[in-house]
Amino acid sequence: MTSETIQPPKRSPRRRSFAPRYPGWLTAPSLIYYMIFFLGPLAILVVFSVATQAGFGSVSYTFSTSQFKALNDPLYIKVFRQTMLMAAGGTALTIAIGYPVAYWMSRYLTRYKTLALLLVIVPFWTSFLIRTYALKIILDPQGYLAHFVEWTGISSQFNVLYTGKAVAIGLAYNYLPLLILPVYASLERMDWKLVEAATDLGASPFKAFRQITLPLTLPGLITGALLVFIPMCGEYVIPQLLGGGQFAFVGTVIGSNFLGAQNWPFGSAMAIAFMVLLSIFVVIYIAFATREEQFGA
Amino acid sequence: MIEHDPKLNVLAPIEIRPRLDRLERLVRRSGGGRMTRAEALGLAGLALLAAAGCGGKTSTGGGGGASSSGAADPLAGKPIESNLVIYNWSQYDDPSTYKSFKTQNHVAIKETYYSSNDELLAKLQAGGTGYDIIVPSQNAVGELVQLGSLMKLDKALIPNASAVESSWVKTAYDPTGDYKVVKDFGVTMFFYNNTIVTEKPTTMKQFYDLLPKYGRVGRTNLMDGAEEVVPLALMALGYDPNTGDPAELDKAKNFLLSIRSGVTTIDSSNYINDASAGKIILGQGWNGDVRRIISARKKQGDITAVLPQDTSEKWADNWCIPATAPDPVAAHAWINHLCDPAVAVTEMEYHNYPIPIQAALDQTPAELKNDPLFNVPTSYTDHYKFILNPSQEIVNARTQIYTAFQSA
Repeated sequence: MTSETIQPPKRSPRRRSFAPRYPGWLTAPSLIYYMIFFLGPLAILVVFSVATQAGFGSVSYTFSTSQFKALNDPLYIKVFRQTMLMAAGGTALTIAIGYPVAYWMSRYLTRYKTLALLLVIVPFWTSFLIRTYALKIILDPQGYLAHFVEWTGISSQFNVLYTGKAVAIGLAYNYLPLLILPVYASLERMDWKLVEAATDLGASPFKAFRQITLPLTLPGLITGALLVFIPMCGEYVIPQLLGGGQFAFVGTVIGSNFLGAQNWPFGSAMAIAFMVLLSIFVVIYIAFATREEQFGA
Repeated sequence: MIEHDPKLNVLAPIEIRPRLDRLERLVRRSGGGRMTRAEALGLAGLALLAAAGCGGKTSTGGGGGASSSGAADPLAGKPIESNLVIYNWSQYDDPSTYKSFKTQNHVAIKETYYSSNDELLAKLQAGGTGYDIIVPSQNAVGELVQLGSLMKLDKALIPNASAVESSWVKTAYDPTGDYKVVKDFGVTMFFYNNTIVTEKPTTMKQFYDLLPKYGRVGRTNLMDGAEEVVPLALMALGYDPNTGDPAELDKAKNFLLSIRSGVTTIDSSNYINDASAGKIILGQGWNGDVRRIISARKKQGDITAVLPQDTSEKWADNWCIPATAPDPVAAHAWINHLCDPAVAVTEMEYHNYPIPIQAALDQTPAELKNDPLFNVPTSYTDHYKFILNPSQEIVNARTQIYTAFQSA
């Protein structure tokens, strides 16, 4: 009957708090899965990379940095460099194709936006290998595209398959959606009134793009670029199929050491070293991803 | 178990007892049971007389007691299992072979496939068991013997294997001939488009020397993999393909790098289709594949195939039984079945690679047995060499050279 009894129940402040409502151990199954199937293989790789070889396909578990020292060879440094250059070329091509597509989807489409988005993702539903084989047919020097190019006179000899160009085209094609989606998202979130204001104040359309649209979508663009660059570096199938086996990507060399030479320690060391190198790019990616979260339009 | 019949022990030596036991089971089964051992073996004897290549052992002096076989022959007298698990290259055996084996032995066959020796070795080294039959190439056999992963074959259970030509029994990769029966063999050769390539190369060295010139004109192809590229180059330079001499390996590396600009593709799996479509003007190939390319280009007639004069690679795929095989008796029966000349003939017509059993080769159609690309004359194969994996160091050195070659 006193005033205390009318006070609201004590539960209410708890309801408003941001503290999690369920005990943390409920995520244990997911964490265990992650540890066994994600961190586990990584740990095995690290153990292998400091082991030494003891005959075919077997290793003796020691601690030796000899594998990493063997990596410091002009040959493997060249392979690393070539891989990153090819991936950079592929990324540049992906941006050149992907950015305009994302821009067009976001700025020009209204009714068919979802359909366009779907069409970008649809190729991802088919097997990666089959799509790469299909690309081989399109790029064939005796195929329809070659006949068309030669007919139009753009080039007298369409000889793209089994060259670096074919590898770059294959890389760009296979990873395009991974770039379009984040760029599209950042374009969608952009306030187009800013561009309108810029043109009202006398900026040319190009200047408005350069000074407003591009900086505002840059975090999305960088995110997308790294999202395609990193897996491109680890590519194994595309250089084999479209490059005719004459491009040694890091993935190719790791593969031939693991399978062909059964040299697991060296293959592991190469994988670890390349992972550390790529981590630098991942750090950049994370930096931009968080920045986008904070300042994204 | 089978009852002992003293009469038979007088007639035949003890060593062949397991063979007789098996024969009896076979005949009993196909005859629908209900016959004595003597009747069954008598019937088998008649069948044996008709079959080729089974003389030898059965006629050698007899005697011996009725006791069961010793430890040297652990599989003797054991009944055939009801399952057989084969781990094989895909589409490498005629479907009728499986059918006839199943009906004759009442064994259920399960088969899975791999696409390279690397895949097979990786699977076995990762602890893959449960296979009864595997089909490794010569280099993998050598390695598996070193690792102790193969079962010593019980030749008494594979009587048909005695018909395999002697030069293919004890081979460089299996000096005792105890661990494999050759399934089929082939060689690495080269071919060129005779409307474009005007020189007439006859050796592998001449083939390599033409690459820089024709790589600019059209597509050229080498067989892929460190175990092909490096040893083949060594052979072209006149060295042992399995050498570990750093100076020789270095020379091979420099030679490969000097012709690198003339190589358009390094590929062993797609070249048949591409060459059949006329896209390769100068390339290496395995003889069975080159036969297919030639027949695909029959109308144009623009492909010339060359078996290198001096030396090249010969290779063999082999029937082996892993040491861990759960159904070893059935596995031996399978190998024996495949060495049956009648089966070998249909096999050769199916996969187009020769099986070194003369009785079977003689029965193949004329277009096969008279074709040097199929029945490669021994005048060539005698000079050809097996590419092996002699040691891990050599394999590593080859892989490094191959990486340098690829990335050049």
